[in-house]
Amino acid sequence: MSRGESPAPAAIELDGLSVELGGRPILRDLHASLCGRAIGLLGPNGAGKTTLLRTLLGFFRPSAGGGRVLGLSLAEQGRELRATVGYMPENDAFIAGMTAVHFVRMMAELSGLPPKAALERAHEALFYVGLGEARYRTVGTFSTGMKQMVKLAQAIAHGPRLLMLDEPTNGLDPPARKRMLDLVRDIRDRAETHILLSSHLLRDVESVCDEVLILKGGEIADSCNLEAERRANRSFVEVELQTPEPGFAAALAALGCELATTGDAALKLVLPDDVSVRDLYAAADRLGVGIRRLDIKRDSLQDIFLRAMEVDRGGV
Amino acid sequence: MAVYERSWRRYQGPQTPLGARFLVVTRYALADAFTSRLFTAFYAACFLPSLGGLFFIYLSHNLKLLEQLGMPQDLMQVLTSKFFMLLFSWQAIPAFLVALIVSPSLVAADLANGALPLYLGRPIDRRGYVLGKAAVLALLLSPMTWVMGLAVFALQASQAGGTWWRDNWRIGAAYLVGHVTWIVVVSMLTLAISAWVRFKPAARGALFAIIFVLAGFATAVNQFTGTAVGDLVHLVRAINSVVLALFGAPTPSGLAVGWNWLTLLAVSVLSVWLLDRKLRAHEVVR
Repeated sequence: MSRGESPAPAAIELDGLSVELGGRPILRDLHASLCGRAIGLLGPNGAGKTTLLRTLLGFFRPSAGGGRVLGLSLAEQGRELRATVGYMPENDAFIAGMTAVHFVRMMAELSGLPPKAALERAHEALFYVGLGEARYRTVGTFSTGMKQMVKLAQAIAHGPRLLMLDEPTNGLDPPARKRMLDLVRDIRDRAETHILLSSHLLRDVESVCDEVLILKGGEIADSCNLEAERRANRSFVEVELQTPEPGFAAALAALGCELATTGDAALKLVLPDDVSVRDLYAAADRLGVGIRRLDIKRDSLQDIFLRAMEVDRGGV
Repeated sequence: MAVYERSWRRYQGPQTPLGARFLVVTRYALADAFTSRLFTAFYAACFLPSLGGLFFIYLSHNLKLLEQLGMPQDLMQVLTSKFFMLLFSWQAIPAFLVALIVSPSLVAADLANGALPLYLGRPIDRRGYVLGKAAVLALLLSPMTWVMGLAVFALQASQAGGTWWRDNWRIGAAYLVGHVTWIVVVSMLTLAISAWVRFKPAARGALFAIIFVLAGFATAVNQFTGTAVGDLVHLVRAINSVVLALFGAPTPSGLAVGWNWLTLLAVSVLSVWLLDRKLRAHEVVR
């Protein structure tokens, strides 16, 4: 289902990856090759985003299939893999009694930095995320936003090649959310670091990622290269009819339009290159249908996501 | 990157060896333990019995000094295996107290706020994590137990001269094997409790409860059945019997010492199993 090709080597490859937890299948037969600099994991709650992240980290063993992260096998090179990634979990994750600098330094040392380098990078990472003045405070006294930032600091202090972020903007107010996304974009752009961002917030993913993998019910609902999608500049049209006319949808499908959502009086569709808005009016005229509203817009992540979610509900 | 630049870049410097990464856990936990001055003072005091033993051995062999001090010159006769067994107890009891003070926060602090995924999301696995935490107790308890025990044995052997060390090798072996066994059992048990009971006072209480409840249960079983089969779950009697057997002394347990070893092994294996159940990056709800 992947649209838009990228010549870069795959950062994450999934080869029939399946995961069962407590006897229940959580991820089913995932196949993907993700090459983007920043990859978004999208899906509704319970889609399997966090499970996929944790499986990539080796927390859960695949029940079938496997995968590779930055060329390292999940099954055979788990330790080497974890040495190259930084992980920011979704939930609270800190040691309450430790100062921020002590905490980040320890995590950097665990990732392999010598003590002196770890201390330097801990200071730098904390300044970078905006906690420079608070670095000698114990993490347990931090606000929610500060705890999110210290989680980011510990994830980047050792300079990972892949940064895994699980719902990084959870619990953040708008300025803190903007700051977090700015930092993630900065990390993406400054160094040769891949980002794997799991979120159910489309705007977060759209503003950071150039490729998305959409999960639904433990399966891949869609994956696409956002950059390629943006470049393609597909025309997305919303049409509202004055009176319901089922034949209109069929007429548009016959023109080659890709219908995202269908209803009796409201339709969302993607125009192919050789079909113009004038053709829609002509079809309406032929069927004697009145068009109350017609909006043309570019294909957004929201539309891609909605289309992916609609597949099971009879969407085309 | 530099602090003033407030920027970020990849790290491409040297890395520490993967195999020694668990020592980071140990180092930070040790540093945390010694942040308390009270604990540091107590820890230093735990060496007093051994230092007293060393001084007594030195004194008892120094007849001139005894004469100058006006003390009896037959102190040497006290240096029998009983003396060394008593000294063993005076080393083991403070070691147990140190484990009781330090261990409740070793694992619980990481579990309390979900820090375990941060450890295990790095190139350290659960085995390395437990090894790192257990090494804290091993490093804290070893100097005051078997290291000092062997120092006592070595001093006595050097002062007594002749074939004393060969005739009494069991004492040295008992200090080494007995204390190491005690450290392993106590470390595993207290780490398991720390993983399951996050509230420190409750964790300490749980350790005492396990020991006393098991002892009470064992005594009841022994009385009810008229056998010594209850000693299979009597942890204190098991370690006592094992140590006394190592010294070559009669054991308090009605069971063969092999069964006491089995008890200690079972406690350690059970503790490891409990740790394995609890120490996961994420719990799976069934």
